Amino acid sequence: MPTVGLDIGSLTTKVAVLGDGKVLSSVIVATDDDDREAGAREAVRAALAQAGLTLNEDVCLVSTGVGGKAISFSRQQKAITTCLARGVHHLLPSAMMAIDMGAESCTVIKLNARGRVDDWTGHDKCAAGTGLFLQQMARLMQVPMEEMSALSGRATARAGITSTCAVFAESDVISHVHRDPPTPPEDLAAGIYYSVAGRIISMCKRIGITREVAATGGVALSQGLISLLAGEMKLEILVPDEPQLTAAIGAAILAQESVDKGPAE
Amino acid sequence: MTVESTRTPSSKVRSIVRACNLIGRMMRAQPGAMPSEVMYYEMIGGYFSRLLDAEKNGDFIAAHTVFFPAELIYSLGLVPMHTEMTTWTASLFTGETSDIIEAGAALGLATEICTPHRGLVGAFATKVVPRPSVMLWSNMICDNTAKSGELLMELAGCPGHFVDHPFKDSPEEKQYLKEEMADVVSFLEEQSGRKMDWQVLAETMDRTDRQIQLSREISELRKATPSPLRPRGFLELMMVDYLFPGQPEAIKYLETLKQDLSAMVAAGKGAVSNERFRLMTLFIPPMYLLPLFDAIFEEFGAASVVEPFFTSWSDGRLDANDPLAAVVEKQYILPEARMYGPLEDRALKAITDCAGEYRVDGAIYYADVACRQSCAMIKVFKDRLSEVDVPTLTLDCDIVDPTITSREEVREKMERFFELLEDR
Repeated sequence: MPTVGLDIGSLTTKVAVLGDGKVLSSVIVATDDDDREAGAREAVRAALAQAGLTLNEDVCLVSTGVGGKAISFSRQQKAITTCLARGVHHLLPSAMMAIDMGAESCTVIKLNARGRVDDWTGHDKCAAGTGLFLQQMARLMQVPMEEMSALSGRATARAGITSTCAVFAESDVISHVHRDPPTPPEDLAAGIYYSVAGRIISMCKRIGITREVAATGGVALSQGLISLLAGEMKLEILVPDEPQLTAAIGAAILAQESVDKGPAE
Repeated sequence: MTVESTRTPSSKVRSIVRACNLIGRMMRAQPGAMPSEVMYYEMIGGYFSRLLDAEKNGDFIAAHTVFFPAELIYSLGLVPMHTEMTTWTASLFTGETSDIIEAGAALGLATEICTPHRGLVGAFATKVVPRPSVMLWSNMICDNTAKSGELLMELAGCPGHFVDHPFKDSPEEKQYLKEEMADVVSFLEEQSGRKMDWQVLAETMDRTDRQIQLSREISELRKATPSPLRPRGFLELMMVDYLFPGQPEAIKYLETLKQDLSAMVAAGKGAVSNERFRLMTLFIPPMYLLPLFDAIFEEFGAASVVEPFFTSWSDGRLDANDPLAAVVEKQYILPEARMYGPLEDRALKAITDCAGEYRVDGAIYYADVACRQSCAMIKVFKDRLSEVDVPTLTLDCDIVDPTITSREEVREKMERFFELLEDR
């Protein structure tokens, strides 16, 4: 029987349906802030339907993420770090470290040889280095978020942006945009990415960088940031095809483990 | 500058006494409550009752900072007031933690200074604590303690005396500290008009030696599986060490606790109903979250079995025949002394030895965000524990300020850590 992993993030809800060790289907939708349970249920139904299945009481579902706790149809709730480890190990077995860059948080996990979490760190008191931070910076620059990556790739220099605080970084960007002449947007995008990369690398060093390093979460879609991280860390960064789904896939794997273990005595 | 408060000092300390009396009564009425648990609250209530009586009667109150040897004060027949414990116990029971922290800030103390010290100053400024006759302080355990004294003296309007505690352990430095302690005695004699009875001090230090032995025996009992001491039990042990050094009630309490724990070990009974994770505790958890930790530890079957810097005494006995030398020796073997000055093997080896002896599954490092000196040690400790395959959760928090880390954040991080341990 296929299993389901549900990752409810602050911006997006991700669902992965796993069967015979493979991802049968997946869905990524905007999180319904008014009714997370209803939104999650619809997303799960849609993912199951793609795989020719329906949501019923036999479906084993594990939930995770900021909204993963209060889901009535979830068999079990697991920490995001546990799910990420399973997901990364499944998708990129050689990865021993994963940088998960989400909308509101950034977490770095270190894996052991069995693909279990050995250590982790995160910055949960500041928005710098997260998807929402990058969105805000793009808005200030009046550049579509999707174009930021390509823009940074055309930079000839790098604008100086403090990496210590999202509020100060915002002030820096505003001053760059409004100075005379304004800082070229390519250089500004590069500077923003550099400040994010600096923060992330510092987190990685806190728990010790171990190859191979993977990147997951929505922000990992930014090729410009990934290239910069790889350059600064002097190693290749592995990115799975749909990095946003990693934790959901991990949750589905945990659901399968729970099924294999059988009911508790 | 003074900051007004709506309550008198007596009423705040009286809150502690009332609360202890109430909790003690509730425990006595509770079937299965351990005698030591009841005794603990009676002792704490007694300590603060004595302080209230001293204030009312105009008796000599000697305020002292943490790790100052209160045996000297007791032996002179004076009333000790442990500044940190009085401040924070009163604030926890009155719910006025934010008020006293803000009062400290109002005197210009920046947020980078650790809250225990900011709050201490705030407590003196707003008269949360009774006005002492003298202020005694030292450089143990940190620079903030060393620098607090003059300001506290000024706020209290009383004379004071500073003890210079050397960093290293050598015969010369111990002799120096002994002379410092002799100076404390002279100061107290001069201020109080009393003379030290050295036989009384010898008897007190003899009891301190017994107290330390009992603490070691209790530590041995905690090696059992399941471990018998309840999650916040180690904080109670610390409180007894800090408030009742060398006192008969401390001996009685520890003997009773030892009996209670021995019975639990004999019955195969643990502090949590289903022990799954044995933890090492590094530094002190946020005091305002103790009920949360009790609940989470019970939920996940976690027990704090050892605290190398708070309950594990170093080797050594006190020779009461030379009471001042015994006072000095105690300063060097108390658990917290490992954090004082350079770490060396006395701290680092203690961590790895404890991890092995207590069969620890994981460690929690309560990283007080404003404690610069302890947070500098995070990486060293974590790496050492990693070498013996013990993962460490670093929990950024504040020991008393509830605005730094929320319950939800703490809960989430602990859940992640327990899942990590489960998955190993």
